[in-house]
Amino acid sequence: MMWIFAGLNLIFLCCAGGLFFFLIFESYPILKLQGIDFWLGQDWWVGETYGALPMLYGSTLVTALACLLVLPLALAVAIFTSEFLTSTSRRFVKAVLELLAGVPGIVYGLLGVSFLSLWIKDVFGLLDGNTLATASCLLAIMILPTVLTLSEDAMRAVPAEYRDNALGLGLSKWQTATAVVLPQALPGIMGAILLGIGRAMGETIAVMLVVGSLDRIPNPWFNIFSSAQTIPSKLGREAAESIGEGTHWSALMALGLTLFIMVLLINFIGNRFLKRRSIS
Amino acid sequence: MLRVLLFLWVAIGVNPFPASADHSPKIEIVGSTTVLPIASRAAERFEKFQRVEKFKPSHRLRILVNAGGSGVGIHSVAKGRSDLGMASRKISPSERKRFEGSHLKVHTVGVDAVACVISSEIYDAGIRDLTRQEIRDIYLGKIRNWKEVGGPDRKIVVVDKERHRGTRHVFMDFIFGNPIAKTPGTILVTGSNNEEQTKIAQSDSAIGMLSYAWVSDEVRAIGIRDKKNIVNPTREAIRKGDYPIVRNLSFITAGEPSGEVKAFLEYLKSPEGQQVVEESGYIPFT
Repeated sequence: MMWIFAGLNLIFLCCAGGLFFFLIFESYPILKLQGIDFWLGQDWWVGETYGALPMLYGSTLVTALACLLVLPLALAVAIFTSEFLTSTSRRFVKAVLELLAGVPGIVYGLLGVSFLSLWIKDVFGLLDGNTLATASCLLAIMILPTVLTLSEDAMRAVPAEYRDNALGLGLSKWQTATAVVLPQALPGIMGAILLGIGRAMGETIAVMLVVGSLDRIPNPWFNIFSSAQTIPSKLGREAAESIGEGTHWSALMALGLTLFIMVLLINFIGNRFLKRRSIS
Repeated sequence: MLRVLLFLWVAIGVNPFPASADHSPKIEIVGSTTVLPIASRAAERFEKFQRVEKFKPSHRLRILVNAGGSGVGIHSVAKGRSDLGMASRKISPSERKRFEGSHLKVHTVGVDAVACVISSEIYDAGIRDLTRQEIRDIYLGKIRNWKEVGGPDRKIVVVDKERHRGTRHVFMDFIFGNPIAKTPGTILVTGSNNEEQTKIAQSDSAIGMLSYAWVSDEVRAIGIRDKKNIVNPTREAIRKGDYPIVRNLSFITAGEPSGEVKAFLEYLKSPEGQQVVEESGYIPFT
């Protein structure tokens, strides 16, 4: 039995490693051709030159913005749900959240096209509603249930004695929640956010429909109300016409590799951060 | 529990549909969203025809139609991932070279015009035609406001399409003389006709390019002005060859078609098939 489990484990490792090496193998031609310029270039003209910087920038900015929007909201709702709600209503809230977390991206995408982009256009008086900001808001809405429900789990997992002791020492319920439970649950919350970032970075269709799909770094660079492009959206728009071979395909695979490394890096940094915290 | 299982087994065992459906012939069609309405309408008709004529279920041809764009259509038929590709543009020289071994054959079934379209708000404000030079300057980012071409004081939302799309090839070929022209004035990039139509309709100051069949009340087609002469994309003008931005709508096979694929192509070229082309909003190819 043990060996079967070990074997399954090995298969899983091979899949992850295989994917990584496949991406490296497929992106080798373009990286050999353009080297570091692939990541520094700003122009993506199929058949001439492939520059990934606008996509890299778009992906980073959209994800970061989505996190910024989600974090305060998720924390507030998680604290309230975990520490202040009765267990019946808590279970109800959790059920709804978990339902939301399972809604596929295309549904959010279509809602984004029909409503969110128009609202954002009207509210901010923009020329057009397909912008970085729209994509970030949509992503925030998409990852909120995941981040929320996992953060809440983490807070719930803090042993009851901590709360009892804190309350016994005369701390108010609010103080207990923020000064005792929250710090204890921090690693779990961090994990929840990392998972959210992973989903946000990889989301294709919802972002593709509202981000504007323009391969250009906004001008000025912090202008979140202009259209841009993310890595998955670029892959979604161009992969089907080039599947399997050629420089274009290689360039798209190199984009995939870049995304893969970005997610790896974020997880790695997150883990380091957690380790340092638990040691101190 | 046992009874439930038994029931399920029997249900699966006596159900004749899944087994026979899997063996019935099938063709897959992928590509241009401009040609897609023709293909899906024709597929519907074709399947109905088979039902009326009481073809045996196992002999009925099933036709699966998927979108993706002309580039995707050409690529997937050349690579053998589909039986038929749909394209609303010519096969480009680089594609010809790349897929030399596939012996791509073009079967034209209809003619379509690519219209320069604008949001209805701009149309109502008085813009009814533009010159080639004006459209070029808009896509190059030299003209950024509608008032520079006689419209209201409103910035232009320049809508472009993905670079492999047939509609873009044809439009840019006319405007710039280069199907893969670079357009630094672009503000939005869209994919299918459907997506572009939605985004132009949502905007109140957009310009874009659409197949003539996709023009609607919210997305208005404008004429092309050459000195004093204005040509509007009307059915009449397209048929007579006066409107300058036209293209053939084609199905593409790798090598000579045979069997079911050939039958379907012949159906499309028959008077009944040409009727389908007309109903889809295009001009029959004769």
